[in-house]
Amino acid sequence: MTLANFDAPVMPGGQSRTRVVVGHLTLAVLGLACVFPIYWLYATSLRRPNDVYEVSPLPWPLSVGSYRTAIDEINVLRLLLNTTLIAVLTALGQLLTSLLAAYAFAAWNFPLKRVLYLAFVGSWLVPFQVAMLPNYVLLHQLGLLNTLSGVIVPNLVSGLGVLLLRQHLDSFPKELLEAARMDGRSSWSTLWTVVVPNLRAALAALGILLLVNAWNEYFWPALVLQRHNDVLQLGIRSFMSATEGDDWGPLTATAGLACLPIFIIYLVLQRHVVSGFVRSGLR
Amino acid sequence: MKRPFARRSFSLVALSAATALSVLAACGSPGGGSDQATPKAAAKIPELGADQKVSIVFESYNFGQAGAWTDTFNELIGKFEKAHPNIHVTAQKPQGSSPNPATDTVSSLQSQIAAGSPPDVVQLGFSDLDFAIHSLKVKSLDDLLGKDAVQANFDGAKFPYAKTARTLGDWDGKTYGVPFVFSTPVLYYNASIFQQAGLDPAKPPTTWDEARADAKAIVDKTDHDGVYLDCLTKIAKDWCFQSLVRSNGGRVISENRTSLTYAQPPAVEAVQMAQGLVKDGLTPVLGQKEAYTSFAAGNVGMILETSSIQGTFVKGAKGKWDLRAAEMPTFGSKPTVPTNSGASLFVLSNDAAKQRAGWELIKFLTSEDAYKTISTKIGYLPLRTGLVDDPAGLADWAKANPLIKPNIAQLDRMEPWISIPGVNYIQVRDGMMDAVEKIVYQGADAQSTLTAAQKQGTALLPKA
Repeated sequence: MTLANFDAPVMPGGQSRTRVVVGHLTLAVLGLACVFPIYWLYATSLRRPNDVYEVSPLPWPLSVGSYRTAIDEINVLRLLLNTTLIAVLTALGQLLTSLLAAYAFAAWNFPLKRVLYLAFVGSWLVPFQVAMLPNYVLLHQLGLLNTLSGVIVPNLVSGLGVLLLRQHLDSFPKELLEAARMDGRSSWSTLWTVVVPNLRAALAALGILLLVNAWNEYFWPALVLQRHNDVLQLGIRSFMSATEGDDWGPLTATAGLACLPIFIIYLVLQRHVVSGFVRSGLR
Repeated sequence: MKRPFARRSFSLVALSAATALSVLAACGSPGGGSDQATPKAAAKIPELGADQKVSIVFESYNFGQAGAWTDTFNELIGKFEKAHPNIHVTAQKPQGSSPNPATDTVSSLQSQIAAGSPPDVVQLGFSDLDFAIHSLKVKSLDDLLGKDAVQANFDGAKFPYAKTARTLGDWDGKTYGVPFVFSTPVLYYNASIFQQAGLDPAKPPTTWDEARADAKAIVDKTDHDGVYLDCLTKIAKDWCFQSLVRSNGGRVISENRTSLTYAQPPAVEAVQMAQGLVKDGLTPVLGQKEAYTSFAAGNVGMILETSSIQGTFVKGAKGKWDLRAAEMPTFGSKPTVPTNSGASLFVLSNDAAKQRAGWELIKFLTSEDAYKTISTKIGYLPLRTGLVDDPAGLADWAKANPLIKPNIAQLDRMEPWISIPGVNYIQVRDGMMDAVEKIVYQGADAQSTLTAAQKQGTALLPKA
């Protein structure tokens, strides 16, 4: 069978080729439509401060003036560190609690197991806004308002994480767990020496997903951090104002900087990121 | 293994239930919190003792905004703390995730009151005045300090408040809020576009008929848009719309604030005038933000706008086009009735010491020195208008900033932005502005749309 013959069923004639070309063109246009706002973000951030309202497709002459203003006005480096700290601690906390809860649900039988599991899943289905005020009151009582801990603590458990890891653990060979028990390993030791090493791929994918979610979080920090704009997302908002007008130069510069860590994570760990989103069923 | 688990899970459920109950209990007590020191209505709050330490929280929608505003106010609060070493001020923005923190002010206070930790001094818009007094329970400054003390602050050491400004935070003859920052509607125009269109940049339109003719010349002879009125969308709220209607001889609400009147002929005519500008392609169909951004980019000939956006226009125009300002155009020969945008400062605390400290802060922020700093560093209108004629005050600044002239000229005949009464005031206001938006930008029939909206709004007003 020649290559041409092999291809024949896929592209039997000119009409199919046209369809392929049209399909690719459509995808290319859609791809450009997706990429263009990101390009425009960086293009605007690199225009001279006086040129931010220009609409020429290429920003010329280039200037880092907007980045300088952003750094002068909101201490971008500190915000970057704070956001990293919040995202990493939140993701690690969620990963740990998800792992422990999923292990319990998957490996053991206990009363009300199904109900408790549904409670976890239910917490994922309830929008965060619904629990916003009770959480806020609780933070006030704990004295955690206006602190980074206040942003992290209420988010230390993720219903989604429990749900996903439980699915993985359900398909984990029970014989391995039995073998570990017969070897005299405790449940704790079995978790860390048998389960976790075999769940590395799933944990990595989930970890990335949780990290990206925590990094992009805007709503909760906006509520908790009233006294300082301590995270990048609030730093971006500080350049927006309907009462004074938006300051597009530093706004786009800060937004551009806020995207960079996620871009880097994506470039370095592309396979895990895609896997994370596919496993979660999210897009 | 099973039993300990069961016990543990039970205690978990119990703990969650207890937490939920305590949270619900806290939610169910709005206004709860520190009211142990509530003074009687007529009692004056005492002066602070020489070594009496007080900490207060000041909430303003402008905090959290990077740049001049926050820097200037941090500087002012630093100076205040130096002058009052026994008072510590913590500044914060309203909580909430809205891109414009000014829209979060009331909801922020409601949730902080529910949590039992409201701020002590707050900056609230004039549209919220009725709700602030009757629902949020901001304090009457006359009751706390005596009318004389409050009026003495308005009089100032040398430069009193503009006469029309000093009563904007009053209710039933008592002062609740000290007006802090505001603007009247100003017609900013692009003199460079005027020249391109063959118009005289020294003669901006003085009536809406002239504005229409100038906009037509701009659209016909240049690639730019003609005119935009930032008064006709829900997001713009109703401060400027009230001014348009008042300037055409009408009102959106009756003088005694018991009935809505925005379906009457003066309001209908004002809306039809704006609708005509859109229908004839003289006003671009843009949202508020897109419109003022487009004007700043030099693409629109004229815009009726608050001076708080002026900084954006100055930045956009710098080195590119000639920005000028004029008074709001009139409807024929009727004089305009400019209304005010902006906000007042209120005392919300129930604690006498915090109330006194809050008043000291309000006095400081509305002092002559503070206005000198605020005007020169942020560009806001000084409400102690005499400062702009004083060589030791803001005379040089005013000379270098001719854009403030229309605002100052309009202050003399300014009338208050009326706050709509009742707990549903935002729905009533939004319903009215939704109708206006539909008419102007979507071509709905003016009379029937306003009548329908007015009927719905009337049902939401408090019953007499």
